[in-house]
Amino acid sequence: MKYIRNYRKSFQLVIFCRQASYSSVSVVRNQNEIFDNELARQTSDIGRIEKITVNVHEKIKNETFSMNKHLSTPFNVAQHISKWMVEKSALALVDNSKVWDMHKPLEDDCSLRFLSFTDEDPHHVNKAFWRTCSFVLGAVIQNAFNDSIKVLLHSFPSPQITSGSFVHDAMVSLDDWKPSSDELRCLSADMLKLSLKELPIERLTVKEQLAQEIFAENKFKLQQIPDISKNSGGKVTLYRVGSHIDISKGPMISNTSLIGRCSVTSVHSIETDNGKLYRFQGIALPKGLLLNHFAYKILEDRSTKLNTKDYGSTKKQAMV
Amino acid sequence: MNQADLSKLVSKLRINIRPRHYNLKNPKGPEGRLERLRIVVTGLIKHERIQLNYRVADEARGYAERLISEAIRYGDCHAPTMEIADYWLTEKQLIHKLFKVLVPRFHECNMSYTKLLRLSTDHELTRMQGVLELRGNPYPPLIKDLSRNRNLLHNVLLDAARKDYRHEQYLRIAQGMSSEGKKSNEETITGNIEDKDKNEKA
Amino acid sequence: MFSNLYRQCLVEKHFVYNLFPLCKWSQCFASSQPELATESTIQAFEEPEKRSIKLEQRFIYPEFLPDPKIEWRNSIRERLERQDMLKRRSQIEIPEFYVGTIMAVTSFTPHSTSKKNRFLGICIQRKGCGLRATFVLRNIIDNLGTEVAYHLYDPTIEKIEVIRLEKRLDDELFYLRDALPEYSTFPLDMEPVILPDNTPIPVNTTQVILKPRPWVGRWERTDFKGINREHMMTLISDKMKMQIAKHQKPWEKYDLMKQYRATIPEEEQKEIFAEVYSQLHQLELGKKKSKRIRTFVKPKKSA
Repeated sequence: MKYIRNYRKSFQLVIFCRQASYSSVSVVRNQNEIFDNELARQTSDIGRIEKITVNVHEKIKNETFSMNKHLSTPFNVAQHISKWMVEKSALALVDNSKVWDMHKPLEDDCSLRFLSFTDEDPHHVNKAFWRTCSFVLGAVIQNAFNDSIKVLLHSFPSPQITSGSFVHDAMVSLDDWKPSSDELRCLSADMLKLSLKELPIERLTVKEQLAQEIFAENKFKLQQIPDISKNSGGKVTLYRVGSHIDISKGPMISNTSLIGRCSVTSVHSIETDNGKLYRFQGIALPKGLLLNHFAYKILEDRSTKLNTKDYGSTKKQAMV
Repeated sequence: MNQADLSKLVSKLRINIRPRHYNLKNPKGPEGRLERLRIVVTGLIKHERIQLNYRVADEARGYAERLISEAIRYGDCHAPTMEIADYWLTEKQLIHKLFKVLVPRFHECNMSYTKLLRLSTDHELTRMQGVLELRGNPYPPLIKDLSRNRNLLHNVLLDAARKDYRHEQYLRIAQGMSSEGKKSNEETITGNIEDKDKNEKA
Repeated sequence: MFSNLYRQCLVEKHFVYNLFPLCKWSQCFASSQPELATESTIQAFEEPEKRSIKLEQRFIYPEFLPDPKIEWRNSIRERLERQDMLKRRSQIEIPEFYVGTIMAVTSFTPHSTSKKNRFLGICIQRKGCGLRATFVLRNIIDNLGTEVAYHLYDPTIEKIEVIRLEKRLDDELFYLRDALPEYSTFPLDMEPVILPDNTPIPVNTTQVILKPRPWVGRWERTDFKGINREHMMTLISDKMKMQIAKHQKPWEKYDLMKQYRATIPEEEQKEIFAEVYSQLHQLELGKKKSKRIRTFVKPKKSA
C-alpha cells in the first residue's frame, strides 16, 4: 500500500515523506528531449514535399486523397473523412497487405483501409491492442511508485490474447512485494486515467546509437537494443505515450482513448537471466465492446494466473 | 405536490421517459404538436423504420409505445382504445395492422417495442437525426451484432477462458481417477482430453 | 375488508376494463375456436378478481401512490414514507373517505380552552401523496363559508370520523364556494350514518345551483358534472358563452404521454400495494372488530 503513489495522494496516508528526487524526472525529460529533436530532424530532412495519391476503400464509397509523402499519416486521411472515422479507427491496412500504424507517415501511392475493433475479422487490431495495453501498462508502472523505489522496465512479450492477460516485466527495488487489492486498484485507476486523457501513441524509427542514448539509464534496454537493431537493419522503433517512451516492433493502436475497461489484476515475481523481475498482468477491452460484469469478472480471475509467455527467456522478450 | 391519476391504469413502458415533453414548437400550439407527432406515429407503424429529427423521433417514440401497449392491454373490442387508435393512425388500414400484426408480435415481448438510434452527423450545423424503428421489422439490422462474431476481442478472450476451464476440469477428473490407483487409465484420459480439444478447435 | 372491496368493485366501472389485461388477453384474442375462448374467459374470471383486489385499494388509499413527477421519484424515500404512514395508521384510525364525504376532524389546538377543536364539513378536495397528503373540509358556520385544510398524517389530529360516507360526481368540489350556501351547510352535531356491509358507496348526484357572478373560478369552461349547467348558463354573459368553445382542449384525451406522466403504471402500483397489503389488511381487520362491538349496541336509524 505504502509504495503506490496514487494511494498516498488520494487517501492522505503519508507514510513515506516524498523526497525531491529529480533524477527520474530529469531522465524522462531528457528522453523526451532527444525524441522531440529526432522527430524534428526527421521532418526537416524530408526537404521538398512530394504528393502521393491515396485511395481509401470504405463500404459506402471509395475516395481519393492527395497527401504529402513521408509526412501525412493514415490519421490525417481519416481526418479528411470524418470525426467518427478518426475516433473508431485503430489501425490502417496499406495496399491490402501491410498493417500500418495510424501515426506512421505514408511512403508512396497506396490504397488504404481503416481497421477497427468491430470488423469482421479484427485479428491484427486485437494484437495491436494487446501490445498497446502492455506498453501503456509500462507507462503506469513507471509512474505509479514512490520516488524512493527504483523501477526499471524490462520488456513485454509479444501479444498472445488467448493467454488471457497482457504482461509487462519490470525490476522493482522491493523484496517479496505482494500487492494488495487496493494497490492493484490504484494501478488500474492509473491506467484508466491514461485512457481518459486520450493520448495519441506516437511512433518514431531511430538509429541504434540514438536508442542507446535514450535508454542510457536502463541496463536491460541497453542489452536488448543491439539484438533488436540487428534484426531490423540497424533501426529501432520507438513508441511514445504521454512522456513514456519504449521500444516495440509495433504496430500499435492510434490513441489511448480506444482502451475501454481495463484492470491490472496481478503482479508475480519471476526469476529470469537478468535476476528477479516482477511480472505485471492485466486485462482490458476496447471501448466499443461491452461485456457484462459477470463475464468480465471471469476474465479478470483468469488473468490473475501467471502468464508463462516467454517466461524466463529474456532474449525472446527483446524481440517484441 | 401531485396525486397520481387514479382513473386510468396504464402498462409500464420499457423505455426511458423524459421528465418533461419536448415542446416541438408549432403555430397551432399543443394541438398542432400532436398532429405532427401523429404523422410520425402513422409513418412508423406503416414503414416500421423511419429517419427523422431526433427530438421528434424521441417524442413520437413514447406515443407509439403507448399506442401499442394500449392495444395489447385492451384489444380491439374496447371502444376507447379503438378511438385512440383511430386518432393516432390516419390511414385506417393501419388500425388492422396494429391489432392483427403488431399485437401478436409484441404481446409476449419483455423489451421495448421500438428502438431509437442516433445518427452521426458530419456537420455541426445540421440538426441531430435519429432512426426510429419497430422491433422485429423485416429490414437488415442497423447495428452490428457484437455477441455473435467469435473473432472480436472479448469473444476471443471468453472462448479461451472456456477452453481453459474445460481443460482444468478434465485434469481434475484425471487426477481423481489416478488417486484411486488407476494409473493405467490416466494416459488414455489425457489422450481423450487432447482429442476433445482438437474437436473443439475443429 | 374483502366485503368492502367487493362493494368497491361493483361501483367502479373501471373494474370491467381491468379484467381484460389480467385475463391474459392473448387467450381471448388468439384462440380461433369460440368454445375454447369462452372456457378460458370463465377460467380467467376468477383469477384476476383476486389480483385486482390489491389494485382497487388505490381508490381507498390514494396517498400510498407516489408523486408521478419523474424528477421527484425516489424509491427509498417512498418506501420510508409508506412505513411512516402505516405507523401513523396503527395509532389512529384513518377511515375510508372520498371527495363528497361528510367528515368531522378533532384536532388539538393551543388556542381553545379545551385544547381541542372539532370541525365538521364536506370533503371538497383530496390532494398530495405520502406523508404530505391533505384534504379540505368545508362548512358554513355563522353564515361564513369556512374551509379547513388538514394533513391526513398530522400528529395533532386526534380523531377522524366519517359522518356520511358518499361520493359526488366530481373529484373536486371547489364550486361549492360559488354555490348557494345550503349545499355546503351541515349542522355540527350531525349524527353518523352507518352503511351496512356489502353495499356500494352511494353516489350523491345533486347538481348545485350557483350564485350569480362574480365567481372564484371560470366554472362555465369546466365540465364538472355536479353543477347545474342550465342554470349556470343563465348567469353568464353572451361573450362568456362565445369563449367556452375556445378554451376546450379536446385533444388532451389523445395525449397518451401526458396521461402516462400523470399516473403510476400498473406494475408499480401492484408492487406498492403488495408491499403494504398485509399491514393494511391487519389494520382493516382490527377496525372491523371494533366496529362490530360498536354496532352491536343497536344503531340509531338516521333520516
